[in-house]
Amino acid sequence: MSIAKASGFEALEKLMSTEPPVFLAPSSISEVARTASRYLFEKLKPFNPKSPFDQLLVDGFDAEQIWQQIDLQCQPLLSSLRQDVKRFAQNPKEIRKLGNLALKVSHEDDDVDEMDMDDDELEATESEGDEEEEGDEEEEEEDDVEEDEEEKSGDHEGIEDKFFKIKELEEFLEEGEAEEYGLDYKNKKGVAKRKKQNLRDDDDDEEDEDEEEDDDEFGAFAGGDDEEADKLGKARYDDFFGGKKKETKMKLKDLSEDDEAELENQGDVKLSTHEKDRIKLQSKIEQMEKANLDPKHWTMQGEITAAKRPKNSALEVDLDFEHNTRPAPVITEEVTASLEDLIKSRIIEARFDDVQRAPSMPTKAKREAKEMDDSKSKKGLAEVYEDEYVRQANPAFAPTTFSDELKKEASILFKRLCLKLDSLSHFHFTPKPVIEEMSIQTNVPAIAMEEVAPVAVSDAAMLAPEEIFSGKGDIKDESELTQEERKRRRAKKKRKFKAESAKDPVKKARDDTTENPKTVTGSEER
Amino acid sequence: MFPSKPFPKTLIRHQHQTSSFIASPTLKHSRKIKMLRRNIRLRKEYLYRKNLEGDERVQYEKKMKIREALQEGKPIPTELRNEEARLRQEIDLEDQNTAVPRSHIDDEYANATENDPKILLTTSRNPSAPLIRFTKELKFAFPNSQRINRGSQVISEIIETARSHDFTDVILVHEHRGVPDGLIISHLPFGPTAYFGLLNVVTRHDISTKKAIGKMPEQYPHLIFNNFTTQMGQRVANVLKHVFPAPKVDARRIVTFSNESDYISFRNHVYDKGEGGPKSIELKEVGPRFELRLYQVKLGTVEQNEAETEWVIRPYMNTAKKRKFIGE
Repeated sequence: MSIAKASGFEALEKLMSTEPPVFLAPSSISEVARTASRYLFEKLKPFNPKSPFDQLLVDGFDAEQIWQQIDLQCQPLLSSLRQDVKRFAQNPKEIRKLGNLALKVSHEDDDVDEMDMDDDELEATESEGDEEEEGDEEEEEEDDVEEDEEEKSGDHEGIEDKFFKIKELEEFLEEGEAEEYGLDYKNKKGVAKRKKQNLRDDDDDEEDEDEEEDDDEFGAFAGGDDEEADKLGKARYDDFFGGKKKETKMKLKDLSEDDEAELENQGDVKLSTHEKDRIKLQSKIEQMEKANLDPKHWTMQGEITAAKRPKNSALEVDLDFEHNTRPAPVITEEVTASLEDLIKSRIIEARFDDVQRAPSMPTKAKREAKEMDDSKSKKGLAEVYEDEYVRQANPAFAPTTFSDELKKEASILFKRLCLKLDSLSHFHFTPKPVIEEMSIQTNVPAIAMEEVAPVAVSDAAMLAPEEIFSGKGDIKDESELTQEERKRRRAKKKRKFKAESAKDPVKKARDDTTENPKTVTGSEER
Repeated sequence: MFPSKPFPKTLIRHQHQTSSFIASPTLKHSRKIKMLRRNIRLRKEYLYRKNLEGDERVQYEKKMKIREALQEGKPIPTELRNEEARLRQEIDLEDQNTAVPRSHIDDEYANATENDPKILLTTSRNPSAPLIRFTKELKFAFPNSQRINRGSQVISEIIETARSHDFTDVILVHEHRGVPDGLIISHLPFGPTAYFGLLNVVTRHDISTKKAIGKMPEQYPHLIFNNFTTQMGQRVANVLKHVFPAPKVDARRIVTFSNESDYISFRNHVYDKGEGGPKSIELKEVGPRFELRLYQVKLGTVEQNEAETEWVIRPYMNTAKKRKFIGE
């Protein structure tokens, strides 16, 4: 193998030394090329355990077959290499930390470079236009990556220190830009490669690609924002001042996992504005359609009872409706002060709205106020006495006084009123009753009533004997009485007289018709 | 229109008996029947008088026209020519009492001014302690009043006992979780009932302890009614006025009912002449303070469910905010 190696190495060097035009012409250089490629194949074999070839079968195979073998070996290697390159592009420190791995990585890088260059040379000889171009593009991209890495590590040693890395700054800026344009920074390079692969391999599945792109766009939109937010929220010391081994291992794992995920989810390149707008619109449409199909929020459902809405949900909603009633007055200091001012003014004016007591009706009728005439009476005293006597003796004959007339009129009026009231209040109305008038029947001879002639002339009496006499028991004449009976009569008379005298003690002077007046003789002298 | 049943037996001196006379009832039973019949008769009279009001109104209008024509010296309108002589005679006989057309509403308070009002205060069922305290305060605020426990009495029972004991007004107080929120003033001999809602109630117990706040004078107070301008306002003022008796001229206590956009403020003050001359007055607020909001007036007592409503609040009308029923 060492001889082969040596020859292989020499072959490589020889190849490198030859000029490009020589490749075009079919010549002995092909032998050299085959040796070199076989040598390289052997070198790369340990990194690719899955390949079916132990050795590059060169003899008797044409260029196409050799190329296919190389391709078979290279494909898995390329993807892993890309991952590594990306990782190292982000944190170049890891290259040194990893130790063995780092050396290998650097070797790999070189190998990759050489491999690429070899590939390019092979491709040039095969002359397949598409592949050439793509190979060029791949090379360019990887070169760019390489250059970036080199630049980042080498140039800015003066400014950079433990805290500040220009590379990190640039990465941050690029991430921001990617965020703005809707692509995830992490996946950018891989995405580009993937897209190219898709274009190359599956021309028929453009629709699928589109869908994938859309989904990826969605994913990128949704995921990117969240990831960005998460990144900002969960900034830790370690992010700024270097991580530990755990973190890097995690990241490696994550990256490997992400790779597979990305391979499935990714699919979009930078979209044009029209496409972006269209995508946004479609998302909006989908949202609105979904909202229409779902049941409405309870506030939009018209009349709602408490059972149909969630508990205490009315407290959260700001209910606003017009109140038709005036609100209750809030009693502030000013209100109280104004009230008190009003009261004070009313007190000063003494203007109150009290209850006025109605004047009550007198319970007793007023006493008959006798009218006192000031003027001299027309009648003489004797005439007054005469009238009184006449009234006592013959009541019917006497002229009536003023008060009597008033009384009569009043009684007549009252009787009429009573009649009317009775007719109002009695349901069973009685006919007009006979008004009994009290007329005094006096024992006056009938002729006296009819005639103007004096009383003493006629003898005929109006009253019947039994109406005159109101006695009882045996009636005896004076001559028939015995002595005891006479005494008894006298005693009875005396008793009666005494009783009467006790009743009215005042005797009028003129009634005294006895012969001996009580007046003193002295009065006669005057 | 006339009562269809005959009157109680005691008033009639007829010989024949009434058709519905029950043979030999007990004394108590017969008294009850009499009371019942009396009430029925009174109510029928009231309805009859109410019916006559329409005619009375018409007559009054005619008399007014004739009076005006006579005063101004204009010829009497032709439609009244036939009745003119009779009406003129009536006009001459009228005095200030009969000249005004009477309505059944006025009859309720016709006799109220003769005697001092006698008030019965009580609460709704199962009153809380704050409500009882508030009722006690109202007892001091309204002179000549009495508070009774509600227990489990029915409203009709309360009204019956009040009527028989010659109370003039019954006041019921209602509450919501300790805060008084309703007041019903019912005038007793079939009088009107006014229903109020209470707001912003501040009781004497809330302000400070018994010792700190001191005693309240129970003098018959002067009354102030402010801004009761409409007819409904006058009616409410009447109802509230007749709950109080007529005071002395030099009374120191003042009760104020002030109306502001249909909310009536009740205030209870005691005043003293200040030092700075006759124009200065020191007011000291005493007693509970609350806002009344009238929501119903019924032409009957509290127990009469079928009584006619004179006025009821309409808060859900679109123009409710613009209309003011009591004042302004």
